[in-house]
Amino acid sequence: MNEAAHGAAATAPAERSARLAALLARVALADQGAFAELYRLTAPHLYGVALRILRNASAAEDILQEAWISIWHHAGGYDAAKSQPLTWLTSIVRNRSLDRLRRREIDVVEPAGDDDAPDIDFPADEPSPVDLLLAGADARSLRDCVDGLEPGPKQAIALAFFHGLSHGELARHLDEPLGTVKSWVRRGLEKLKRCLDGAGVTR
Amino acid sequence: MNLSRADRRERLASLAAEYALGTSPPRVRRRLARIARRDPVVAEALAQWERLIAVLGEGAPGVTPPPRVWRRITEKLGLVTAEAPRIAWWDRLGLWRGLAAASFVVAMALGVVQLTRQPVPAAAPLVVVLAGPDARPAIIATAARSGRFLTMKAVVDTAPPQGKAFELWALPRAGAPRSLGVIPDGAIVEVPLQAPAGESLANITPLSVSLEPAGGSPTGAPTGPVLYSGKIERMY
Repeated sequence: MNEAAHGAAATAPAERSARLAALLARVALADQGAFAELYRLTAPHLYGVALRILRNASAAEDILQEAWISIWHHAGGYDAAKSQPLTWLTSIVRNRSLDRLRRREIDVVEPAGDDDAPDIDFPADEPSPVDLLLAGADARSLRDCVDGLEPGPKQAIALAFFHGLSHGELARHLDEPLGTVKSWVRRGLEKLKRCLDGAGVTR
Repeated sequence: MNLSRADRRERLASLAAEYALGTSPPRVRRRLARIARRDPVVAEALAQWERLIAVLGEGAPGVTPPPRVWRRITEKLGLVTAEAPRIAWWDRLGLWRGLAAASFVVAMALGVVQLTRQPVPAAAPLVVVLAGPDARPAIIATAARSGRFLTMKAVVDTAPPQGKAFELWALPRAGAPRSLGVIPDGAIVEVPLQAPAGESLANITPLSVSLEPAGGSPTGAPTGPVLYSGKIERMY
């Protein structure tokens, strides 16, 4: 499976997208072979997304399973004119992971006024969220846009994006007031969007 | 609050950005997702930010999921093989056993075609029995190899609901399904082909019929459920 994922990464993005879109269209016609191939090509990326957000392998496996069942049933809802196939698949997994994460947080009663809330630990062997963000910057313009952010907003966006941190958790993790963190995220995203739109990176 | 109103666009943009990034509180998340289902302006705002956010994550390393994940998915969906299901459902043994019992229907359909088409096509025909997941034949499609149309005969009472259409798809061995167009209403109808059938349907394994909005799929790919499917039999 690693090999397949690797092969997919090696081909040109446009070619890979066309291939994934064709597979999705076949899945809409209940083609099991296409479903299996789509899984082989994209499941590692999607599992990585869920794992980084949920930080729990068994929860990430559950989300992946639910997501693929939904993909089988709703592949016909994919519209190639509206989004790239990998974006569509990633949104399904990201949103389900975030919903699960937030639900879990509601279950945990936080002691009021606890200033010593434990910091969030990330595995030491993993690149930092900002590094991950920059790793996506094969496209030079993406790297330039990410690099163009101030350090605060850059880190807040990277943490939220890769690890699903909420505004409250960001404030705690970065040791900044909630309002500051919120405006970092908002202004950072707007700046990124303007930059990426201008560079033609977003489609 | 009507988020799609022009004066609230800015507020919508920032809510959508936070939704896509995932920082919005659970209640806001749920509300936005709910609103997006019926408000296309809100849905497009979310989609725009999701596209941007997806670009950010392209370089993050993938992690191969344990094999049990795929096994559970196939089990839950009742797919044929848990290992590497390369077999489409229309290739399943059970289906073809069911269809064997129906081969007389094919013979009858050919009879119909030969009675209604004069002169009888000289070249050997292509025949497709399209069946539902219950394996009951529903439509028989035939074409002369040199013919520029596919004759489709419904053998059960089947018609799309009001405001919907049946669209015919050809599934090549690789690549995206190709639409052969919306099937006209009627018990025996002709679907025009762009090239002689022998050429047009070469390298096509099954034909499938999906349920689409009137006029056919708005996306160019099948959007509705697959109702009937069948393998092309080449009669020599």
